[in-house]
This record gives sequence, C-alpha cells and structure tokens, in this order.
Amino acid sequence: MTNTLLKLSWVFLKIGTFTFGGGMVIIPLIENEVVLKYGWLTKAEFIDAVTLGQVTPGPVIISATFIGYRVCGILGATVATASVILPSFVMICLATEAIKKFRENKILANFLHGARVAVIGMVFDAGVSIGRGSLVDVKTVLIAAISIICLFKYKINPIWILLGAGIVGLVT
Amino acid sequence: MGTGKQADTEQKIRKQADQLYRRGLHAFAGLPDSADMESLELVVHLWQKAWELYREIGDKNKARELEKSLAALYKKKYLKVQGSRKLQGGIVQKFKDWLMFLKIGCFGFGGPMAVFTLLQNELVREKQILTDKDFLEGAVLGDVLPGPVTMDIVTYTGYKLKKWSGALISTLVFILPSFVLMIILAMLYNKYRVTPKIEQFFKCLGAAVTGLIVSVGLNLSKSEMKDYRELCVLIWAFASALIFKLDIALIVGLAGVVGIVLYHDDTEKQELK
Repeated sequence: MTNTLLKLSWVFLKIGTFTFGGGMVIIPLIENEVVLKYGWLTKAEFIDAVTLGQVTPGPVIISATFIGYRVCGILGATVATASVILPSFVMICLATEAIKKFRENKILANFLHGARVAVIGMVFDAGVSIGRGSLVDVKTVLIAAISIICLFKYKINPIWILLGAGIVGLVT
Repeated sequence: MGTGKQADTEQKIRKQADQLYRRGLHAFAGLPDSADMESLELVVHLWQKAWELYREIGDKNKARELEKSLAALYKKKYLKVQGSRKLQGGIVQKFKDWLMFLKIGCFGFGGPMAVFTLLQNELVREKQILTDKDFLEGAVLGDVLPGPVTMDIVTYTGYKLKKWSGALISTLVFILPSFVLMIILAMLYNKYRVTPKIEQFFKCLGAAVTGLIVSVGLNLSKSEMKDYRELCVLIWAFASALIFKLDIALIVGLAGVVGIVLYHDDTEKQELK
C-alpha cells in the first residue's frame, strides 16, 4: 500500500513537473505512465478518466484524482492530486517572489512587456480554436455572439453566461 | 537695557527649542521601521513646537530645516495610515476572497479559458485585487512554468494576497469542488461503469466560452495596446499559435525577447511618467 502510494506520488510529481503548455498536453504523458508502464488502468478506463476530468469544473489534470482513486481509494486520490499540483505550486510562488525582487530590472520589465502582449495573442488563438470546434450551427453561433455582446458591452458577470449556456444545452 | 533683556529671553527660547528638537530627534532615531502611530505623533508634536519657537525668535535657517524634517515625517505618517487601512480591509475581505476562489472552482466548466475569463472578471474588474498588468504577468508565469494556466494564476493571486499561506489556501479552495466532484464520479464509476452523456451540454458551453474568450481578449487589448508595436507582437503571436502551431511557452518567451529589444530605449520615458 505504502509502496503503491509512493509510486503514485512519484508518477504524478513527474507529470506535474513536465506539463509545460498545460491542458491536453499531459494526456499522452499520463497514458504512458499509468496505462503502459504501471498498468493501473486499462486503456478504456483511462479514456473515461479523461472524459470525467473534463466534466469537472477544474483543469484536466484533475483526472489525477480519478486515477488515484482507482488505484488506492480516497487516500490515493488525495496523494495523486497533491502531487500533481505541488511542482507548479512551488515554482509559481518562487517565481512571483523573484519577479517582485527583479521588477526594477529593466531587461526583465521589457521581457514581461513583450510577453504580456503575446499572452493576449494566445487568448485570441484559444478563442479561435475553441470556436472552430464548437460553433457548428446557428444556435451555437448565436450563443457566442450574445455572450460577446453581454460581456464586452454590458459587463455582465461571466458566471451567468456560462450558467445560461449550460441550461440551454441541457434543455435543447 | 531693553535689548539685553530681549536677547536673554531669545536665548532662553532658543535653548528650549533646541531641547525640544533634540528630544524629538532621540525619539525619532529610536523608532524602528515598524514604529507605531503614537511615537510618530510624539515626534511630530515635539518638532512642531520647536518649529514655532524658532519662528518666534526669527531663526529662519533652523525653522526651514525643521520644516523639511516635518514634511518627511508627515509622509511617513500618511503612508502608515494608508498601510493600516489596507490591512484592515484585507482582514475583512479575506474570507470573501477565499470564497471567491471556491466560486470560480465551482463554475469553471468549459475548460481553462473559461476559468481565465472568470478570474479576470473577479480579480481585475470586480474586486480590483490585480491590475490587467498583474493578471497578464500571472498568465505569463502560467504559460512559461508547468501546470495548468488557470491554477497557476490562482496560486499567483493567492501568493500576491498573502504569500505562501495565501497561495496554499487559494489553490486548495480552487481545486476542492473539482476534487470532491471527481471522487463522487469515481465512486459512481466503480459501481456502474458509466460516464455522463453531456455532448450537447458541452457544445453550448463551448460556444459561450468562445464568446467569453473573445471578449476578454478585447478587454485586455484595450488596456495593453498603446501603439503599433504592441499590435505587431500581438498579431505575430496569434498567427504563430494558430498557423504554425508553435509551443505556447516558446511564443511567450520569444515575445519577451522581442520586448527587450523593442522597449530598451524607452524605459526612461516610462520612468518619467
């Protein structure tokens, strides 16, 4: 039991450390470790784990909770989730502290200036790639158009937009 | 005879003023950086009296000197009042802030970009804990460092609010709803081997999220775009992600390098502002 927990923790620490780019990038990585190397889940179970990971509101890496639960119950779920979060948690805190310290540094300030603008580009890119997959008929295009107007023009809280769209999806 | 008496009183007053000034100076020098308001008040009080006395006897040089010191003290006092006010607000707000992370953790259906927009709305527009600039820097960190961007921003915000403990609380609170839901789903899965059928639900959510993302992009552009150079970098980043499918960390890193080159000669201008 302890042995399995340690292994579980090690695997997810590793995954948490190397998930650059975030999101879906880690899926093949997890598959490699969990399905092929340790055989904790079958391939079909793994696909279900990823699907469930998208059902929950959190990031996809919450699939780690499911995998941990399958392997070692609630304890396993806790260990796997904590392990997958830990590396980025520590790095973010250290980096935030470092940025504060080096804020005066002009080179870093300029770097951040350029990078900030690129992030906005990334935001638009995400909009296009998600829109490509989900704007498939008149209804979805309407939903997207209405939410842009509501948010940009009338500054409505996005939570209501999401709730409304979800209800429309459940009803129709 | 009269003038001699006058000089006598003048000297007395000067002595008194010097004493007051020195007492204040001692109190001031003994103040640690985190001095309380009371001792600060005392110094201000002593120096003010000394200043009045110096003015009475017409010693302009000394009076001016004291004015300068007093101005510095007032500034210190003002900052102190501001700081304590902020702290009080922080304590009152704290509970609400952490609840906000719970709320975002609950409503993050529709993927990381939906969480991104919710966070921007709550943190920048409603609560004004972060500026657009801070928020984007959190996103830069999230893109460059490992881990899901949304959780990175949550951790970053928590750290900004209250260092390590803040980061820990915000991250845990943010992940909690998903964690609990996932355990319930895993239990159900163990029993029935089913995953919910939710295609239609996600299709509509996806459409709304597209809208959310575009509007956040527009909002951020409004605050960040100042001239054509920013527009160029933006379009370049957008195109290289969409057409050439470059890695996000790479794009952000390259844009940073471009920023170093582009802005290296107008940091002085910024400082003047």
